[in-house]
Amino acid sequence: MKKEKVALTAEEKTKKRQKTLAAIKTHTGFYIMFLPVFIFALIFCYAPMVGVLLAFTNYNGIKAITPEIFVGLENFQKMFSMASFWSAFRNTLEISVIKLVLTTGFAVIISVLLNEIVSLKFKKVVQTIVYLPHFMSWVVVASLFSLILAPTTNGMVNTFLVSIGVIDSSNMIYFLGSNTWWRPVYYIVNLWKETGWQTVIFMATLSGLNTDMYEAAGIDGANRFQKMWYITFPALANTILTVLILNLAKIMNLFESVFVMQNDAVLSTSNVLETYIYYQAFNSGTIPNYGYTAAVGLFKSVVAAILVLACNSLSKKVRDGRGIV
Amino acid sequence: MIKSISRRDFMKGMAVGGVAIGSAGLLSACSSSSSSTSTSSTDTSSESSSTGETAAVEKPASISLMFDGTVVTQANGQAEFFEKLTELTGIDYDITQPDHDAYYDVLGQIIAGGDWPDVILLSSTYYSAYAQAGVIWDMTDVYEGSDLQSRVEASGSTSVVDGMYVNGRLYGMPTGRGNGCLTYIKQAWLDAAGLSAPTTYDEYLEVLEAFSNLDMDGNGTTGNNFGVSASGFIGSDSPYVNYLPEFYQDAWPSFYQQDDGTWADGFTEDSMKEAIQRLADAYAAGLIDPTSLDQGTKDARNKFYAEEFGVFTYWAGTWATNLKNNLENNGVDSELVALPPIAEVPYYYDRLPVTWCITTACKNPEAVFEYFISAMHDGGDVEFAWTYGVEGVHWSTAAETLYEGTDSEVTYEEGQFHMLDNLETPGTQYTKNHLDPMLELVAIEDDPQEETVAAEARNSQQTFNDNCKTVTLVPSTDAMEQYNGDLTTLKNELIALVVTGQLTVDEAYARFESEGGAGWSEQIVASLNEL
Repeated sequence: MKKEKVALTAEEKTKKRQKTLAAIKTHTGFYIMFLPVFIFALIFCYAPMVGVLLAFTNYNGIKAITPEIFVGLENFQKMFSMASFWSAFRNTLEISVIKLVLTTGFAVIISVLLNEIVSLKFKKVVQTIVYLPHFMSWVVVASLFSLILAPTTNGMVNTFLVSIGVIDSSNMIYFLGSNTWWRPVYYIVNLWKETGWQTVIFMATLSGLNTDMYEAAGIDGANRFQKMWYITFPALANTILTVLILNLAKIMNLFESVFVMQNDAVLSTSNVLETYIYYQAFNSGTIPNYGYTAAVGLFKSVVAAILVLACNSLSKKVRDGRGIV
Repeated sequence: MIKSISRRDFMKGMAVGGVAIGSAGLLSACSSSSSSTSTSSTDTSSESSSTGETAAVEKPASISLMFDGTVVTQANGQAEFFEKLTELTGIDYDITQPDHDAYYDVLGQIIAGGDWPDVILLSSTYYSAYAQAGVIWDMTDVYEGSDLQSRVEASGSTSVVDGMYVNGRLYGMPTGRGNGCLTYIKQAWLDAAGLSAPTTYDEYLEVLEAFSNLDMDGNGTTGNNFGVSASGFIGSDSPYVNYLPEFYQDAWPSFYQQDDGTWADGFTEDSMKEAIQRLADAYAAGLIDPTSLDQGTKDARNKFYAEEFGVFTYWAGTWATNLKNNLENNGVDSELVALPPIAEVPYYYDRLPVTWCITTACKNPEAVFEYFISAMHDGGDVEFAWTYGVEGVHWSTAAETLYEGTDSEVTYEEGQFHMLDNLETPGTQYTKNHLDPMLELVAIEDDPQEETVAAEARNSQQTFNDNCKTVTLVPSTDAMEQYNGDLTTLKNELIALVVTGQLTVDEAYARFESEGGAGWSEQIVASLNEL
């Protein structure tokens, strides 16, 4: 049932104002501590947002921002008419969603398996090993995998495939240069690099589980797999959903990992919105139309904002009415 | 058409976009660290000179300059250099030098703000756009017939300056040649294969086949070497074809001006289709290192040092010495042949150089041209200072030993000209100040170049200079700003797909049509022809 808004009388308004002022006075210290953060957010988060106006101009870094350079929705019209934009948009969604599902899924599996390790020492060693790749920069990771997957005698994978007779040396597979192989390789590299780190949150949830439940299940005759299936996985369900939802809001932000691994031959399968913006800016051979790149960026932000709101709505359902944002 | 932007326009713009500029300025102020911020001239109504005379002009008391990190930095003795320049010219210099990486951001904000310096340094990408926007002064009439033009002609650099004309007008003076790449071949590999340096494409292929199929690195196995490697099958900016010129030959993948003055897109021509096919054939035959597709220049260099391939097209000049030294460090034969272009390659491409430009806000541009631009290439003391720096700071003729007790130890006798230890990165010797002695626009009288530049560097630079052509400066148009990013990306993708055997040439050009490339290309060509 909706609450009806009741108009406040002048006296009530005064009382409310006095109450607010009194509360501020009581918590003056907190407000002073909050002030720097507020000013910081205002200057560095909100003031630059005026820059979205560029999306409605044909600004190129030289022209002054005068009414003459405002072109209305022209940049958006161009954007929606470009096949390359839609291809990048589709690639962004596909790559991000598949990456998210795979990484989260594998993180859950690894967490559960880690949880089953009895030796604490061995568990710590394994945890450290799976966390380590997360701390390597994407540039290093890309160089490493370029070398491992090279279609030459330097490439470990191709050399192995030749040695076991799967391929012959004149037909080595160019994993990173083939539109068929690029995405699977990208997902594998992501799994290798990020899965371990994602297990942290699941391990934290598992460490909070009451061990009595396992003991009780054991007394009831449950085997190890049944304990995992009926106790561990249900206990993780809420965390899995929260992680998925939180990450869903970030799926439009995909640049570094793709950029360092892609090349000219695989653009149709690897070009995402952020790399699309990059190529617009740096492949133009002249000073680019920043208005257009700003328009693409604004579109990306709007989609991300919609996803955040959708996530919040979903999380309210999952978390008993409590949203994430 | 040259648009001019008046101060009134900028003030109007500031009123409308004030908040945006303000916030951007605020951010940039946090991120850049100008060495000083003194500018003086704000009148933007100056027009280009039309006197066509070299009449005496009054020497300016001071000139405000803005430049990037390619000019001597504070850490490298900037104060001493400009003190020396003031001593030589009698002019004070107000300097603005933002962080190198933020230079064009800061410059853009200053231009939009209206408080312009007298002189700015621009790369070729910005040069034509700034010229067309009316930001930089048209110096054509002052340059033509000037003493500077005579000196440039006498030094054989006319084509370098000619390459900077935009629609028949000159807006800036290049620092020198832009430099480019030429092909180096390992002499030891040629000897082992019993071949001589190629002079035709067939001979070039013969060399590549030998290098790819024989045991060139002497490790007892064949098939682990390649003839040639590069960083990418094509570059994303001009001169696009400079890493694999023997395959591209006379093909050019972007816009160029034809003999009749009209513009065309070389990518749509048969010569380009044939070039892509040559690359695809060589790739399929295993003559080109396949990782050329995605490797960086450093990877390619390291493979060259590691004896993984024998033909490498790379920068002329100092890089000849670097390649030689690194091969030596790897314990392999370091003799390289600096190859003149083979018969099918008309010339190597000289990049467009960076350019010193006078802004239209400068109150006395003729005087600044005379006392700054022309003086920088006077062939005498001022050019010497711009090239080698200041005695005792950047160079010396005193008897001394540098890097004593290290592998780099070098001893100079009294009177022997030599560059000093780099102030910013100790352990390395200066090779130049701002102007490169091997790329000079005007020859310096009594140039000590022979004493400072290694023989192989001079040889490769000379071979390049004798066989190069400056790339065409393509003016900026609205259509180019709109579509060239997509167009270049599509062209590069199609070339890569054909070379790696994922498409045929015909399929690639069909995609070029269907995905809009042909349309964008036509629109850009039309916009260029309308200029």
